[in-house]
Amino acid sequence: MSEAPADPPKPRGPADNIRRIWQRLTANSLVGRLIRLAAVWFIFALFVTGIGLTAYFSRVTMHRFEAGVGQFADNLFSVTNIEDGAVDTSRFVDARSGIFHSGLYWQVAQVDAKGDIVNPVKSRSLWNARLLLPSTVLVQAKEKVATAVFYDGLGPKQEPLRVAVIYSMVDSNAYVFMAAEDASPVNRDIRTFALLTGAALLLLALGSLGAIYFQVRIGLRPLFDLTDEIASLQKGQQLRLAKTYPAEITPVAHQLNAFLDYAQEVVERQRMHVGNLAHALKTPLSVLLTSAGDDAGPLPEAVRKQTETMRAQVDHHLRRARAAARSTAMGERTPVEPVFDELAVMLEQVFQDKGVIIDWRAPDNLAFRGEKQDLQEIAGNLLENACIWCRRKVLILAEFEAETQTLIMAIEDDGPGLDAARFDEVLKRGARLDESVPGSGLGLSIVDELVRAYGGRLQFEKANLGGLCVKVNLPGNMDG
Amino acid sequence: MRILLAEDDPDLSRQLKASLSDAGYVVDHAPDGEEAHFLGDTEPYDCIILDLGLPKIDGVSVLERWRREGKMTPVLILTARGAWSDKVSGFDAGADDYLTKPFHTEELLARLRALVRRAAGHAQPLLVCGGLRLDPRAARASVNGEPLRLTSLEYRLLHYLMMHQNRVISRTELVEHLYDQDFDRDSNTIEVFMGRLRKKIGNDRIETVRGLGYRLKPLHDEVGEL
Repeated sequence: MSEAPADPPKPRGPADNIRRIWQRLTANSLVGRLIRLAAVWFIFALFVTGIGLTAYFSRVTMHRFEAGVGQFADNLFSVTNIEDGAVDTSRFVDARSGIFHSGLYWQVAQVDAKGDIVNPVKSRSLWNARLLLPSTVLVQAKEKVATAVFYDGLGPKQEPLRVAVIYSMVDSNAYVFMAAEDASPVNRDIRTFALLTGAALLLLALGSLGAIYFQVRIGLRPLFDLTDEIASLQKGQQLRLAKTYPAEITPVAHQLNAFLDYAQEVVERQRMHVGNLAHALKTPLSVLLTSAGDDAGPLPEAVRKQTETMRAQVDHHLRRARAAARSTAMGERTPVEPVFDELAVMLEQVFQDKGVIIDWRAPDNLAFRGEKQDLQEIAGNLLENACIWCRRKVLILAEFEAETQTLIMAIEDDGPGLDAARFDEVLKRGARLDESVPGSGLGLSIVDELVRAYGGRLQFEKANLGGLCVKVNLPGNMDG
Repeated sequence: MRILLAEDDPDLSRQLKASLSDAGYVVDHAPDGEEAHFLGDTEPYDCIILDLGLPKIDGVSVLERWRREGKMTPVLILTARGAWSDKVSGFDAGADDYLTKPFHTEELLARLRALVRRAAGHAQPLLVCGGLRLDPRAARASVNGEPLRLTSLEYRLLHYLMMHQNRVISRTELVEHLYDQDFDRDSNTIEVFMGRLRKKIGNDRIETVRGLGYRLKPLHDEVGEL
């Protein structure tokens, strides 16, 4: 999952939402791929359907319209009487063609040898205009005597016309019987149908794509759950994958858990080796140190000094090894409270003679995102140090900073404190500020290394109690 | 003073034994965990020095066995690993002090003297309330036989409550008896400690009397034997 954005969220408009969805669809994601694939096929199918439906509708409508015009021409042909060149259409009765420019027209005329129309008798609706007959159509009509032939013409208002023409020979003269009707209402119907069909199919496409989007997201939810779980592994909120997954993902989850176990095992093994090495080296060092005893002289002095150096070196490199082993493990989460309690009880007992009181405060559900041993090491060394230097009181406080997911730990004592100028000196490996106070040095270099390994920070301040206050920032986590 | 030294390294054992004898102790040596456990179990030592990395049975297990069997001899643990997790597990097992190898012999002797002196403190009567027991001499407390791990402030709180069983004690009274003159006297902290104490000894043992304070409740099936 992506990190939370650093800057405050801006108000989102619908355009932003659409852009976001678009980005999600075009990005290299499973959801995007599935939806793109579905969309390509689906839109193609809808496009073909739309074209097909419109074409069919247009053909059927046109056919019916033509049938009407043809019928009209047939009627005209059958009731018109021609005797001695005189055309009598008085038996042809039609109300609409009697109205000026009504859109329904007819015309009966003789055709001369050149194919021109002569003496046309025409409907009142044509008024001064006449229906034109292209020569190509006349040729067709001559081939099909007494049968309607159709063509597109222009009406008196420049409207598109569908014209039916019937050719016939009367008394060895050629006549054409023509009927025409304005085609624009039909064209309009076809356009409307095409638009409506297009709109309906577009709506269907959008709705279906939405449905596909949700289906894909819901169908892939186990995958999203998996990424969520992995994210909380990284945050240290859990150690293994706990949810049950569908059969397709189960092997991945199992493998991941096995890998986590393996990583944990490697860390444990490393630590074992490191511990064994420490044991193997330190006991001989003890022997050397004890052999030198308190004797004066250059040799015992040299042995004591070199033993101390060797011990510091061993400690330093063992910690390095430990830190390296640790970084491979992820998902550790250590509640702070029990660690503080254990250490407080233990160190009060150790410093019983001095009467040290350790007061600790930490929220119940506060946790350190790291290993228990490391928190024990950090807090233990700092507390031990405070116990060595304090008069009687030691205070350890832990707080959580939600914004940066940080655990802030402060360890104070009421001892003599430390000059600000010497803060850096303290952190140096093996530095001891006062040889006269018993203890294994300040142990601060250990703490500093560990804290750095966790990407944290160590700071010194003057304590409210009067002595030194050591502040540590570490990755933290708060439940609920 | 008789002490047991449980350490597997022959050189270190020899040297420590010599130094301890010089300091006036009678020293028995156990080279492994089995023998250490046997000796600690059968002989009345004043103090035990226990290396955690013993062969056969490790130091923490030996210590756990002694404590389970009721042996309360003070134990100083020696650890080579120096990790706090080892020290903490040693203390959980019942250790009284620790020393990280390598160490100076004088430091070992100083720690030993302190342990022995502490163990020989003045005898005071055992406080009992239900399954709760508090031994002011050893500054130890237990609930139903299980040892309690208390910080000094928690211990003081429990001690005061046990001294005044069945009486309601106000928050102010507790603050006054719990802290030194110059300590943080915020009465809210009493609630924090009361919460922690309840977690350790059981929720129902300390009753909150609204507006008045707290009261430690004795159980009816109380057995008063010491």
